[in-house]
Amino acid sequence: MTDLTKTTTAPEPGLIPLPAAAARALTLVGGIATAASAFLAWTWTSEFPGDLTITGYPGGLQWLTFTGGLLITLFALSGYGIRGLGWLLPAGNNGPTVLTALGAFGTTWFTVIAIAVNLDGLVNLEPGAYVAAVASLLAVIGAFALPAGADETHNAKAAFAAGLRKGGIPSNTRIVIATFKGLAAYIGKPDRIPAPGALAPWVERAVITVVTAVGLGVFTYGIDTEYGELFIGYLILVVFAMWALHSAGLTDRFSRLVAHHRGFTLAMGFAAAIAFPFTQTDDHYANIGVNILIFGTVALGLNIVVGLAGLLDLGYVAFLGVGAYTAALVSGSEFSRFSGVQFPFWAAALSGAAASLIFGVLIGAPTLRLRGDYLAIVTLGFGEIFRIAVNNMDGVSGPDITNGPNGIPSIPDLDFFGFKFGEAHDIGGFTLGRFANYYLLMVLIMAIVVLVYTRAADSRIGRSWIAIREDETAATAMGINGFRVKLIAFALGASLAGLAGTVSAHVTYSVVPTPYQFAGSTPPNSAFLLAAVVLGGMGTVAGPLLGAALLYLLPEKLVFLQDKSLLAFGIALIILMRFRPEGIIANRRNQLEFHETGQLDVPDTETLADDPAVTKAGA
Amino acid sequence: MNTLPQQLANGLLLGSMYGLIAIGYTMVYGIVQLINFAHGEIFMTGAFGALTVYFYVLPDNTAMIIAVPLMLIGGALVAILIAVGAERFAYRPLRGAPRLAPLITAIGLSLALQEVVRNFYPDADRARAFPGLDATHDIGSVTIKDADIFLIVAAIVCMSGLAFFVRRSRTGRAMQATAQDPDTAQLMGIDTNRIIVIAFAIGGFFAAVAAVAYGLKYGNVDYRMGFLMGLKAFTAAVLGGIGNIYGAMLGGIVLGVAETLASAYIDGIPGMQQLGGQGWANVWAFCLLIIVLLVRPQGLLGERVADRA
Repeated sequence: MTDLTKTTTAPEPGLIPLPAAAARALTLVGGIATAASAFLAWTWTSEFPGDLTITGYPGGLQWLTFTGGLLITLFALSGYGIRGLGWLLPAGNNGPTVLTALGAFGTTWFTVIAIAVNLDGLVNLEPGAYVAAVASLLAVIGAFALPAGADETHNAKAAFAAGLRKGGIPSNTRIVIATFKGLAAYIGKPDRIPAPGALAPWVERAVITVVTAVGLGVFTYGIDTEYGELFIGYLILVVFAMWALHSAGLTDRFSRLVAHHRGFTLAMGFAAAIAFPFTQTDDHYANIGVNILIFGTVALGLNIVVGLAGLLDLGYVAFLGVGAYTAALVSGSEFSRFSGVQFPFWAAALSGAAASLIFGVLIGAPTLRLRGDYLAIVTLGFGEIFRIAVNNMDGVSGPDITNGPNGIPSIPDLDFFGFKFGEAHDIGGFTLGRFANYYLLMVLIMAIVVLVYTRAADSRIGRSWIAIREDETAATAMGINGFRVKLIAFALGASLAGLAGTVSAHVTYSVVPTPYQFAGSTPPNSAFLLAAVVLGGMGTVAGPLLGAALLYLLPEKLVFLQDKSLLAFGIALIILMRFRPEGIIANRRNQLEFHETGQLDVPDTETLADDPAVTKAGA
Repeated sequence: MNTLPQQLANGLLLGSMYGLIAIGYTMVYGIVQLINFAHGEIFMTGAFGALTVYFYVLPDNTAMIIAVPLMLIGGALVAILIAVGAERFAYRPLRGAPRLAPLITAIGLSLALQEVVRNFYPDADRARAFPGLDATHDIGSVTIKDADIFLIVAAIVCMSGLAFFVRRSRTGRAMQATAQDPDTAQLMGIDTNRIIVIAFAIGGFFAAVAAVAYGLKYGNVDYRMGFLMGLKAFTAAVLGGIGNIYGAMLGGIVLGVAETLASAYIDGIPGMQQLGGQGWANVWAFCLLIIVLLVRPQGLLGERVADRA
């Protein structure tokens, strides 16, 4: 099959029959027109959020359309072989152009439809909106007329053509599969990406710096979106743009660059994280930031337990709760049982982590001797018991410790050597509000957790964790004390969650039992934490952070989704485990493990494909 | 009312409900070494299936003697359908994947089932009334309801039926063989996929029976009821020795009795005055699990099995 289709060396026409030159020109024109259309007025009233009414000044969603158009233009120009843009398409495939065109199309059409729906009717659209819609459609048509990607992807396109020719005769599912394969031919990543030319180290560092800055800008934009429509448009564009970069092979190149400069990248990442509050004028967004950081830190702690050691902890949020309650009890709050006691923060943080550690060992010691499945249930039980216990310990239905369902309110703000976290501070012309202060503290804690995570993962103990995860019997036979290393992983994960909990108690002013449950509609709870780790990618540092940011922002920005978010996550977990168990950011080892072929020496050609369409839709 | 025999009877009743659900965990685990986390939710959907039959299928004021068997059929149909569907579409594709994968799928399934019921079943975001069998009988110093009689009879009938099925029938023996060694069983001509489906279906049926008993006894059902019941039932299965069907029932009864006695009498122990009552029952049940795992990890009736790598 490979030989038959690979003989054709001339570029095959694309999905839409147009001469290659015309297709390229159409894409370019579509891209430029899309970007330009953002400067027109799309609607007549400012009732639609973002004010899309003024010609010459794009607003809100129009900026997204503009960015999308710009990206198409760049990729299209790069396709023409313009000097200086060649790096955008190292493999010379057209997938990225198609994907950016789809992204711009999606954002633009979403905006246009949202205007028509929100304001009741097409009459609310100004001509500019039609121009934008048509321009982005032209870009998509042009992109699909481009020759499909090189190499093996031709096969899939041939299958698609065959499916089309056969019409509805064979079966509908076959047509659907063929369509998927045809689309996959465009968006798939080419097998071989030419190695980049040698760059001077300082250039490589500059690239990393620029990418980090752009990443910070994109992320900040997402957090600062003020209304649901803008966030959806943003999400559409970002997903397609990232996909395009992946399909162009640029993400692979970048990760190779990162591998060369690990320390530098980490430093840049933290610099970007520290820079975030300085870009914010409203403390509300710093609040979102600090919540994402808490959520992400806890998810990273869980990643040690789940991702590295392969232990499923379903009551992880309880350790966060233990830390939070410990910090609240010794915070000096007048509602605390020990209201006279006020520990300095370092002592409170240590006691929170220590309390979680003790609980972790208490839970882990009896269960980790047994097969892994017991741990899942025991931790699930522990999570519930923790919530029930703190709910009952109000002096009426239990000992008076945690003040029952009312929790411990009015936890005082932290005070570091006179630096009061509750007050706004002016630093170099920037005002940092209360949440921004906590945000910076959380960045510090996150740095500790990342350090612990990476050092542990690369150490002897980390290798033991991975060995235990892969095959406990074999690992034990090689002399690893399975129980001991598992207990270390479990206890370490627990104490990191406890540490994060101590900060979260101060950030939220009060601790109450309700957030510490297995599943709820707002993060963090155990189900969300696990989802963040699995969605982002088990066993990686960036994965759980990305997963946490996504899972926090989605319900936060899309209020209408809140009611259905758990349903969506449940289904997403099932589908993810079925088709991409390694998550968004794949750990190389996990990726291979999850797509095992069953035969040791025979490489399986299909297993590492990234698109679900290739994984035998019938199975 | 709160005499020791009454408490023992309460514990026995609660325990047989745990036992019925635990059968589902233990059979599936015994054959495929998978904790079907979503089993608690299968129990819950069984209850809603029965509720649907009563409120939306049967005419109003149907006599309970006719309604209960029909509700049982409706609940069992829903529960079996979901259990078998879960096996076919969620678990089977993951056979041979790392152990973590099916567990995470099970959690996803469990969340999804809860949320589907909450979002799409009429008025299911709060507890829904379930027809009760509330007529009481006094036997000596013990008072029991009609619903309790239903539960006890159902538990005895189901357990004896299952024991007969597993020991005597051809399929039952194939099931035992598959549990012992799936590969060899397959070589001997046993369709192991079919056996696994049957195990899921039996689990779903037992869960539905328990669900109808639950509804009749407590008079209401809600979409969250499967979580805690599932957790307790799993505890019961571990307590009795996971993989052993008699162990599941025994574990359920031990757990139910221990939990009832603990919540009734533990506040009489000096120093633990405030730890009694229903609020702490779950805590004690869970402590029992930890103690059993420490002292006898294979469970009451379980045999020590070597880890299958």
